[in-house]
Amino acid sequence: MLNLIPNLLMQSSSDATLATGQATTPKTFWMPEGASTISREVDWVFNFINYINYFFFVLVVGIMLYFVWKYRQKGREVYARGPSHNTMLELGWTIAPTIIVVVIFFMGFRGFVDMKTPPSNSYQIDVTASKWNWSFKYPNGATSNDLYVPAGKPVKLVMRSEDVLHSFYIRDFRVKQDVVPGRYSSLWFQADEPTGSDKFHWLFCTEFCGKGHSDMNRHVYVLPEKDFDDWVVEQGRWLDKIPAEELYFKAGPQLYARCASCHTLDGKPSTGPSWGNYDGSGNIWQRTDSKTSTHKVDGKSITDLVGDGKAVPNAQSYIRNSILNPGEHLVDGFGNVMPTFRGQLTDKGIDALIGFMQHLDEFDAKGQWTKKPAGTAAAAPAAK
Amino acid sequence: MTTLDSRPVATPAPDNYLTFTKGILSWVLTLDHKRIGVMYLVAVLSSFFVGGVMALLVRTKLLFPGEVSWMTAEQYNKAFTLHGAIMVFLVIIPSIPAALGNFVLPIMLGAKDVAFPRLNLFSFYLWIIGAVCAVYSLLAGGFDTGWTFYTPYSTTTEAGGVIPVLVGVFILGFSSIFTGVNFIVTIHKLRPPGMTWFRMPLFLWAVYATAIIQVLATPVLGITVALLVIERAFNIGIFDPSMGGDPVLFQHFFWFYSHPAVYIMILPGMGIISEIIAVHSHRHIFGFRFIAFSSIAIAIFSFLVWGHHMFSSGQSPLMNVLFSAITFSVAIPSAVKVFNWLATLYKGSISLNTTMFYGLAFMFLFTIGGLTGIPLAVLSTDIHLHDTYYVVAHFHYVMMGSALIAMIGGLHHWWPKMTGRMFSEFWGKIGCALVFVGFNVTFFTQFMLGSQGMPRRYYAYQPEFQIYHHISTGGAYIMGLGFVITAIYLIHSLFAGKKAPANPWGGASLEWQCTSPPPHDNFSSTPRVGDCYDFSAVHWDEKQQGYVVDTEAHVAAAGKGH
Amino acid sequence: MSHSTSHADSHGHGDHHAHGDHAKYPFLAHHFDTPNQQFESGKLGMWVFLATEVLFFGALFVMYAIMRFKDPQVFSYASQFLDTILGGINTCVLILSSLTMAIGVRAAQTNKKGLLCTCLALTLAGAMGFLVIKYFEYTHKFHENLKWGQAFYHPVNDEEKLELNTEPKPVENPVLTIAAVNPSAGVQPVALAAQPPVDKTAVAAPKAGPDGVSTAAMVEAADAGMHVHHSEEAHLLDPKLPPNTHRFFAIYYIMTGLHGIHVLIGVGVISWLLVMAMRGRFSSDYYTPVDLVGLYWHVVDLVWIFLFPLFYLIH
Repeated sequence: MLNLIPNLLMQSSSDATLATGQATTPKTFWMPEGASTISREVDWVFNFINYINYFFFVLVVGIMLYFVWKYRQKGREVYARGPSHNTMLELGWTIAPTIIVVVIFFMGFRGFVDMKTPPSNSYQIDVTASKWNWSFKYPNGATSNDLYVPAGKPVKLVMRSEDVLHSFYIRDFRVKQDVVPGRYSSLWFQADEPTGSDKFHWLFCTEFCGKGHSDMNRHVYVLPEKDFDDWVVEQGRWLDKIPAEELYFKAGPQLYARCASCHTLDGKPSTGPSWGNYDGSGNIWQRTDSKTSTHKVDGKSITDLVGDGKAVPNAQSYIRNSILNPGEHLVDGFGNVMPTFRGQLTDKGIDALIGFMQHLDEFDAKGQWTKKPAGTAAAAPAAK
Repeated sequence: MTTLDSRPVATPAPDNYLTFTKGILSWVLTLDHKRIGVMYLVAVLSSFFVGGVMALLVRTKLLFPGEVSWMTAEQYNKAFTLHGAIMVFLVIIPSIPAALGNFVLPIMLGAKDVAFPRLNLFSFYLWIIGAVCAVYSLLAGGFDTGWTFYTPYSTTTEAGGVIPVLVGVFILGFSSIFTGVNFIVTIHKLRPPGMTWFRMPLFLWAVYATAIIQVLATPVLGITVALLVIERAFNIGIFDPSMGGDPVLFQHFFWFYSHPAVYIMILPGMGIISEIIAVHSHRHIFGFRFIAFSSIAIAIFSFLVWGHHMFSSGQSPLMNVLFSAITFSVAIPSAVKVFNWLATLYKGSISLNTTMFYGLAFMFLFTIGGLTGIPLAVLSTDIHLHDTYYVVAHFHYVMMGSALIAMIGGLHHWWPKMTGRMFSEFWGKIGCALVFVGFNVTFFTQFMLGSQGMPRRYYAYQPEFQIYHHISTGGAYIMGLGFVITAIYLIHSLFAGKKAPANPWGGASLEWQCTSPPPHDNFSSTPRVGDCYDFSAVHWDEKQQGYVVDTEAHVAAAGKGH
Repeated sequence: MSHSTSHADSHGHGDHHAHGDHAKYPFLAHHFDTPNQQFESGKLGMWVFLATEVLFFGALFVMYAIMRFKDPQVFSYASQFLDTILGGINTCVLILSSLTMAIGVRAAQTNKKGLLCTCLALTLAGAMGFLVIKYFEYTHKFHENLKWGQAFYHPVNDEEKLELNTEPKPVENPVLTIAAVNPSAGVQPVALAAQPPVDKTAVAAPKAGPDGVSTAAMVEAADAGMHVHHSEEAHLLDPKLPPNTHRFFAIYYIMTGLHGIHVLIGVGVISWLLVMAMRGRFSSDYYTPVDLVGLYWHVVDLVWIFLFPLFYLIH
C-alpha cells in the first residue's frame, strides 16, 4: 500500500514534466533535482536533517506505540507506579538534542554564507518586479521577460520592486530573495548545466502580491556561454524594431530605468543631477537647449558651452557626449562618478533618451508615459 | 483545631453552575468563570466552523490547477486570508486559554473564580466586538492581505475591509491581554493553602507561561496594527516606502508579536497533553520540574526568535545568523517535553479512550511538526523552503495538528466535567481516527509539495503539482467528516449522554474532586491539596461508575513528599 | 495540627475567617477570602496591566529610535517647530499632578476625606490643563500645516485638491485674487503677510519631497510657493528642509496622541474617583481604586517625561 502511492505520484509528475518541458524532474518526494552550484550543499543539509528526523520520528512514535501496547490498562483498579523523575536521563535528553542542533546550525550557516557571497566576477542582471511582471535587463541594455543566464558563470541579480513586496525564487537553484520596494536586494547563483532554449527552470514569485501572484512565474533558460552572448546581442537589438517616431515613449522609459538610480525626474538631486527641474532652470532639455539657461556647467553658464559656433554645437550633441563621455563636462555640485555607457547604448538608444528628455512633461515621476502632458505647471517656472 | 473539614470536598449539590440561575440574562451578564468559559467555547467553535468552511473552499479550488468559474483569484485570496485570520485570531489564540482555561483554571487551582470576574466578562465581549469587526470587514469588501498583513500590499490593496479587520485584531488583542492579566493574578493570589507552585498542575504552568506572553507581546501587535491602520488611512510614511517608510520594519514588528503568539497557541496545548497523558496513564507525570520550566523557557525564548520568519526578507545576514541560532534554543525545551511524555507512558496503566487517542495523536503530530521545523530554522535550507507549502504544512502540524488537537483532546477530557454528560466512546474514536488520518493525508502531502517548490498562496499552479493537491484535498474532506461526526456525538451527548460521575478518568487534580458539572462556587469549602499527579489514592467506585479520591490518603501522601 | 491549617492561618484564609470578613466588608468580592487578598490581587493586576502599557509605548519608542537613527537630521531640524515652552509647562503640570495624586493616595490611606477630594480635584485640573495646552499646540501646528504624510506637503482640503487638479491659472497679483480663486480657503491675514516673495526658493521646495512622491505632488508643493493660499506651508520654502520631515510629525502625532488618549482616560477615571471620594466610599480599609489609579497616573506621567526630551529637546 505504502509503495503504491509513490509509484502513482512518480508516474504523474514525470508525465507533467515532459509536457511542460522542465529541465529537471523530481527524483524523490522531496527536493527537485538541483541545478546550481549551491544546490548540492543545500540538498545535502536537507537530506541530512531528514535522516535525523526519520530517526527521531521512528524513535518517538515507536516507543510511544510500544508503551501504549505494553502498558495498556487492564481492568479498572490499576494504579501505576512508575518513576517520577530521573535527573541523569533528563539532562541526557536535554543535552543530546542541543549538540545535534548546534551541528545542524553550523551546516546551514556555511551554506548560507556561500549563498550570500557573490564571486567578484559575477555577470550582473538587473531585475525589476512589479504587479505582476518580472523584467530582466542585461548589461548591454537588452531586456527580456524570461530570464536567460550563461552557463558556468556566476550571475548576480540586483533586484528592485516598483510596488509591493515580491520574492524571487528559482527552486532548482535553491535561491530566494524578497524584492522590497524602496531598496535593492540581490542574490547570485551559478548554473553549470545548460538547458538550451527548449527546456527551462521555473521562476516563482513567493511573496503574496495580490490577484496575479500565482501568474508571476517565468522560465529560466541556461544557455552555453557562447549561445548566451549571441542571444544577448540579438536581444539588444530590440530598439531597431521600433519606428523612430514612437521611440521616445516606447523605448525611453525602459532605457531611463537604467538611469533612474542616479537621475530622478522629480527635481530631487540624487547621485547625479535630476532630469527634472531642480535648480530653477528647467528640466534637462530646457536648461540645455535654452538660450537663456542659468544652468551652470564647469563653473560657467551652459550657454557659454552649447550653441552654434561654440564648443558643443547643440543640445543633442551635449547630451550624447554626457552619456558616452560623462567626465568631460560636470554639472556644478556633482562629482565625476558616472560610468560611460559607450558600447551599451546604440545611437538609436541615445535618440530614444534624447526624445524622452525633450518630452519629459509627458512622463510621470517614475518615467512612465502618461500619454498627455502632465501639466504645464512644471514648465511654467522655466518659461518665465 | 484539628482538620478543617473531613467531608469529601465533592458533595453532590442539587444546584450546579448550569442550573444555578436561569434565563438568558443570567448567561450574558454572568460573572461566573465557568459560564464565560462555556460562552467562549461556543463562540470559538462557531468561528472554527466558519474558518473550516473557508479551508475546504480553498482546498476545493486547488483541485484544479487553473482558473475555475466559481472562484476568482480575488475571491480565493480573500478566502485563504479569512481562513488564516479567523483560525489565528478568533480560534486558536483564545481556544485553550480563554475557553478551556477559563473553565478549568480556577477549579484546578482551588479558587472560587478568577481574580477579576468583571474583567473576564469584559474581555469576552471584546472578543465579540472583535469578531463583529471581522464580519463587518467582509461586508465592507473583505480583505486579501494574508493574515500577516504585509506592507505595502496591505496599505495599498483595494479590498475595502482591511481597516475594519485590523480594528478587530486590535480589539481581540486587548481581549487576550485582559485574559492574561486575569490568569496571572489568579495564579499568584488565589491559590488555596497547600497549593504551592510545584503542586500546581502542569496545565496551569503552561497557561501561566502563556499569560506572560499574552501580556508582554500582544501590546506590540496592538501598536503595529494601529500604525498600519494609520498608514493605510493617512499614508504617514512609517511603513510605506513611497513615503520614506520601511516595509521590512512592519515585518519585524509583526513577528515580534506573532512569533510569541505561536507559543500562545501551542503552550496551553502542551499543558493539556501533560494532563491527559498523566491522568489516562494513571501514573505520576515524569519530570514535573523539567516540563514546568520548559514552559517558562519557551515563553522567554519565544521573544528572541521572530527574525526567523524573515531569512529571505533582506534583513542583514548577521541578524539571520543570530535568529537562526536562537531559534534552535526553542527546539530543546520542546524536545524535553516530548521525551518526558514518553517516559510518563513507561510503566503506566494506559486507558485507550478517546481522550488518550487525542493525546497520542498530539504526540505523533507534534513530533512531525517540531522536526520539520528544523529545516526551516536552518539558514540554507530555509531559503529554499520559505513561503512554500513546506511552511504551510509545518505550521499546520503545529497549529492545528498540535494546538487544536490538544484543544479538542482537552474538550473531551473535561467534557464530562463541563456538561455532566459522557460522550460516546465508539463515535469518539471514529471521529478521532478520521481527523488524524485526514489531517496527515492533507498536510503530509504538502511537505512534498513544498520541498518541490510549490509556493504558498497560489491560486493557479503547475500541472505537475496536481496529484498532490488532489490527495491533500481528499484528506481535508476526510478531516471535515471527522469533525462533523465529533460535533454530532458531542451535541448528542448533551441530551442523551450518560450522566457523568465526578471523576470519570481517575484524575487527582482538584477539578475532579467537585461534582460534574461543578457547583456555582466550585468548592463548598476550601479544598485540600495533594500532589495532583499522585494517583495512589484514586480508586474505582462501582456504585458511582467513576473514580474517587481518598482525600485523606492523598493529602497525607503529598505531605510526606516524594 | 495539619499541614494545611498552618498555611490557612498564616495567610489569613479559612472558612471561619472568610465568612466573617465577607459580613464585615461589603466591598469584599465573594471569591476573595480577605480584604488584603483582594487588595493585593488588584495591585498585582494593575502592575501587570502597566507592564502591557509599557510594552505598548515601548514599541513606539523603538519605532522612534529606528526612525531617528535613519534620519537624524530630520529630527534635529523638525524639533524646532515644537514649542519647548508649552511642552515644558506641560511637563511641570504633569509632575505636579503626579505629586497631588500621591498625596491623595496617602490621604485615602489615612482617612482624610477632605484632603483626598482636594488632591483628586487638583490632579484632575492638572490633567485637563495638560490637554488644553496640548490642544493649543496641535491647532497651532495644524494651522502651520505641520501635518503627517502627504498633508505635510500639500493641502488635503477637498476643495483645494480639486483646484490643484485643474490647470493653474496665471495670476497677476496673487494677494488680491486669492478671494476670487478660492474664497473658502480661510487664509489668515497673518499668513499672507508672512508670505515671502515668489523667487527661486519656491522652486527649490520640491527638494523636501520624500523618495518616490509623484511629480504631481511635487508640482503641487511647488505651487504652494506660487499661490498665496497655501502660504501656511512656510516651512516648505526653507531650502534647509531635509527630506522625509513628514515622518517626524507622523511619529510625533502618534506618540503624543496616544499619550493624550491615556491622559483623557485618566481624566475619566479621576473624575469617577472624585465622585466616589465625595460620597465617602474610600477609607483606610478600602482605598484600592485610588491606589490603582495613582499607579496608572504615575505611568502616564512617566511616559511624558520620556516624550518631552525626545521630541522637544533635541537640540
